[in-house]
Amino acid sequence: MTSTSMPAPTTGTQAASASEAPADEGLRAGPLVTPPPATATGQPMIAIDRVSKWYGEFRVLTDCSTSVARGEVVVVCGPSGSGKSTLIKCVNALEPFQEGQITVDGTRVKERGTNLPKLRARVGMVFQHFELFPHLSITDNLTIAQRKVLGRPGAEARKRGLDLLDRVGLSAHAQKYPGQLSGGQQQRVAIARALAMNPVVMLFDEPTSALDPEMVGEVLDVMVELARDGMTMMVVTHEMGFARKVADRVIFMDRGEIVEDATKDAFFGQPRSERAQQFLSKILAH
Amino acid sequence: MFANFDFSVIAASLPYLFGQGMVFTVTLTALAASGGIVFGTALAMMRLSGIPGVTHAAKLYVELMRSLPLVLVIFWFYFLVPYIGAWVTGSTTPIQVGAFASALVTFTLFEAAYFAEIMRAGIQSISKGQTAAASALGMSYWQTMRLVVLPQALRNMLPLLLTQTIVLFQDTSLVYVLSLTDFLGAASKVAQRDGRLVEMYLFAAVVYFAVCFTASLLVRRLQARVAIIR
Amino acid sequence: MNYTWNWGIFLEPSPEGVGTYADMLLSGLGWTVATALSSWVIAFTLGSVIGVLRTLPSKAANAVGTAYVELFRNVPLLVQMFLWYFVLPEVLPVGLGTAVKQMPDAPFYTAVLCLGFFTASRVAEQVRAGIQSLPRGQRMAGTALGFTTAQTYRHVLLPNAYRIILPPLTSEFLNNLKNTSVALTIGLLELTARARSMQEFSFQVFEAFTAATILYVLINLVVILGATLLERFVAVPGGR
Repeated sequence: MTSTSMPAPTTGTQAASASEAPADEGLRAGPLVTPPPATATGQPMIAIDRVSKWYGEFRVLTDCSTSVARGEVVVVCGPSGSGKSTLIKCVNALEPFQEGQITVDGTRVKERGTNLPKLRARVGMVFQHFELFPHLSITDNLTIAQRKVLGRPGAEARKRGLDLLDRVGLSAHAQKYPGQLSGGQQQRVAIARALAMNPVVMLFDEPTSALDPEMVGEVLDVMVELARDGMTMMVVTHEMGFARKVADRVIFMDRGEIVEDATKDAFFGQPRSERAQQFLSKILAH
Repeated sequence: MFANFDFSVIAASLPYLFGQGMVFTVTLTALAASGGIVFGTALAMMRLSGIPGVTHAAKLYVELMRSLPLVLVIFWFYFLVPYIGAWVTGSTTPIQVGAFASALVTFTLFEAAYFAEIMRAGIQSISKGQTAAASALGMSYWQTMRLVVLPQALRNMLPLLLTQTIVLFQDTSLVYVLSLTDFLGAASKVAQRDGRLVEMYLFAAVVYFAVCFTASLLVRRLQARVAIIR
Repeated sequence: MNYTWNWGIFLEPSPEGVGTYADMLLSGLGWTVATALSSWVIAFTLGSVIGVLRTLPSKAANAVGTAYVELFRNVPLLVQMFLWYFVLPEVLPVGLGTAVKQMPDAPFYTAVLCLGFFTASRVAEQVRAGIQSLPRGQRMAGTALGFTTAQTYRHVLLPNAYRIILPPLTSEFLNNLKNTSVALTIGLLELTARARSMQEFSFQVFEAFTAATILYVLINLVVILGATLLERFVAVPGGR
């Protein structure tokens, strides 16, 4: 493990940057979430231990180890094909892996008796292409898993869903369908949908890379807000501005390996590996 | 050209043609289409399940049905259903099954193979991201299928399912080989009785054309609307 | 279940006096194949013409093509079979009608015409789709080279379109083959009809139908194999 330290979560002391979300109400004041009380303090929220994965002969992950503490925000970056998306999908077992173990809030992901749907219900995930359900209205998108997976009564699910929709500034769109919203709006709904399940941790898989440039900001604002509310987050992204603003640690991956795992300041100050330096210079140059 | 034809025979037999014949045809079509879509969807899910035996069984069933003429399948089931009935009920002699029940079983099982191929394409048209998103929200396989995949697959494939139902509507005329009184059977019986084959078969053709053409126009309009929503 | 199997039945003489039950089924298979091939000639030729009509700029040509397809697609095949067999001779001039009725092998010729015209509407749809799937530049390139419209179709559009639609054409061919069984209603002694008469004479219903099923599956396999070979034979090097 190359992890250096585990800083305390940043709290929302700095004033949140004024939201510039266009065409809708923008972010509302107040916390997006109340983080659930820690169940087993001391142990990390996510522990990734020597995970390897391959397709036939082709290795996609090699011996990856890291961990994410409660309330910590970890940004995972790296060139395309480096395995970062695969790694984050291993955390909630959307991708199987052959070797190693991942533990989420004390539950082992790769174990016979683990109830994967139950585990996944506690891990929020936001996808590159939003993946809202196109046949359901925004309200139904926000409530369907609450009702069918958590068994919440309809009224309660609806209240929680609409509340979160309001927090991401989209309450006017509750009756619409995903196809009627812009990409940025859809992604904010997707974040609200994940939050509606009261997750203990949120995974983001390149949440802004399918967005038109002018919509990236509105999604990042929601994520910054979420980070400042103390949510534990693992974020695969190329948005280094976001990393600088809220990340506690940055992980750099290349060719299926974790090459660098450092505090934000150490990473942006002087990355030790040449590959990370090259990557940073490319990504920050333009 | 039609000087020596008597079209009044049609007017006289309208209650029989529609009250019995068309009701039979429409009932058989509706029941067989519903049953066929349900069983076809099950076959499609089996074929896509990736479980070796299950996948192959579904594939074998679909391919076999699709390589046989419907007329042969109608004969098969006409003689087989009594034995299946005996096997199901544990009887030692073949069960007497009504001709309608036999036809319904035949068309449901036969058309299921065609509906299965449509539903398979429909399920495959739903992106992997959708199932991943459903799983990530904690949904089980069945919940993912029932709440996310199948509703979308059904909607995307609705025009094709309806077109196949129009084909089924036409195919039901083949119950003629069992001497059942569907719409064509009724027309045929009147034609034989009154010696008016030309009039009755032309009339049958016109009615089938009117129904199927109208239905296919409606499906086309629906298709345009579905395409826009997507 | 008290069904008595007798697989030896196929070698027993059929009640027709000549040959065994197996011979009876094989003669049915012969009629099935002959009807399927003959009707396919009509279906393919006429279907190509109708399909091309639907891709021409002329409104009239389009209307004719569309009318043809809608007419033949929206009337059940069995009804069409009856129209050809029972109705057509009646509405022809008396002398011609009588001649048609007295023709030897009338069920065969009727079935060939009926299936040919019916399947043509389905072939037409495939041909149209194939032509429309070609890049628009192809037609323009043909015209720019000085080809007439007919030459453009003959040398540029159709050769490409046929290659693209070979798989759906194969399944239309198979549909046509299966549809020959509908002609048993007008007395064509094809495979399904022969299996049915074997069942009536011998009471060995499941042996008869099993044999017919196996024969149909075999022809399907042969056709699919043939189509695969044909596809390989006509494939354009470097093509998609």
